[in-house]
Amino acid sequence: MKALFAVPALVAALAATAAVAKSNWVIDPARTHIKFAIDAAGWPRTSGEFRKFDGRITVDFERPERSHVAFSVRSESLDIGSASFEGFVRGPAMLNADAFPTISFESTSVEKTSDKSVRVAGDLTLLGVTKPLAVDIDVTRAGGRLEFTAHAHLNRLDWGFNSGFPIISKDVEIDITSAAKEL
Amino acid sequence: MATIALHWSSALVILALLAIGWAMLRLFGAAARFDLYQLHKSLGVLALALFAARMAARAVTKAPPPFPGPAWEMRAARLTHVTLYALTGVAILAGWLTASSAPLPIPTIVFGLFPWPDIAPRDPNVFAVASTAHAWAAYALAALIALHAGAAVKHALWDRDGVMRRMV
Repeated sequence: MKALFAVPALVAALAATAAVAKSNWVIDPARTHIKFAIDAAGWPRTSGEFRKFDGRITVDFERPERSHVAFSVRSESLDIGSASFEGFVRGPAMLNADAFPTISFESTSVEKTSDKSVRVAGDLTLLGVTKPLAVDIDVTRAGGRLEFTAHAHLNRLDWGFNSGFPIISKDVEIDITSAAKEL
Repeated sequence: MATIALHWSSALVILALLAIGWAMLRLFGAAARFDLYQLHKSLGVLALALFAARMAARAVTKAPPPFPGPAWEMRAARLTHVTLYALTGVAILAGWLTASSAPLPIPTIVFGLFPWPDIAPRDPNVFAVASTAHAWAAYALAALIALHAGAAVKHALWDRDGVMRRMV
């Protein structure tokens, strides 16, 4: 999940060439990991990742606030290291992947917070409920790629995701590393 | 003989249950622990089936007469055997109640093959009582199994009186 801004030199270079202001990028699945972790009482921290997703990013290096990101994760692609555990978490008691096959995020605003970071505010849709979520993202440019690191915390109760609470914590940690290629 | 086979298969399943039950509360990460819980519940259903078969066998066939020995030893053996049966039954039923009443609705699918019914609604208070009873029954059962096995070893190696030979 992200959007961009760029190193000043890059901005200067782009401006100098009078390049098109916006560029389109697509997530590289091989370089992307969407991880989460959640605690529960009397139980070790459960962490895992989603294996199937796609994301598109539009970047305006000159005016980062015009950038945009859309990201979608397949709920059933959950990987927590145990088929039976995954069956429970995918099932109706938890992620209800049959009824809600995707978890998606779409940005509503992008704000440059430093030379290497942006804050992306957007809407996260989880269990069919759409609520705002802000994510801080570190961005670096490596070769032809844009690389992202994002951390977010969400209170799942805000999305009506109450199952198992309070035994299972309301706090979900999300940790994303990703890279995008220019289209 | 069928009842001897039932004894040893029950012994194997109960020892596995005690070992897994201990380990799953203390060792391993979330994924392996979840799998151990499911295995523990499946083995618990198997233990229930074996327990029912043993009770049925006791009902339809006459147990062999007790091996002659000092009166205190015969009384102790009788008491140990009855208590072993009782604790096994309590541990199994309390375990079933624990899995049934656990607040998280995790179904019991016996060895991944077929669903096993619950015997109580999800209820944290019932769960608290049932899981405590299950743990105490399991610890008491483990202690009594140690006594029972120790006595068997004493008869086999010290007394050399043929008690063990009746069971193999």
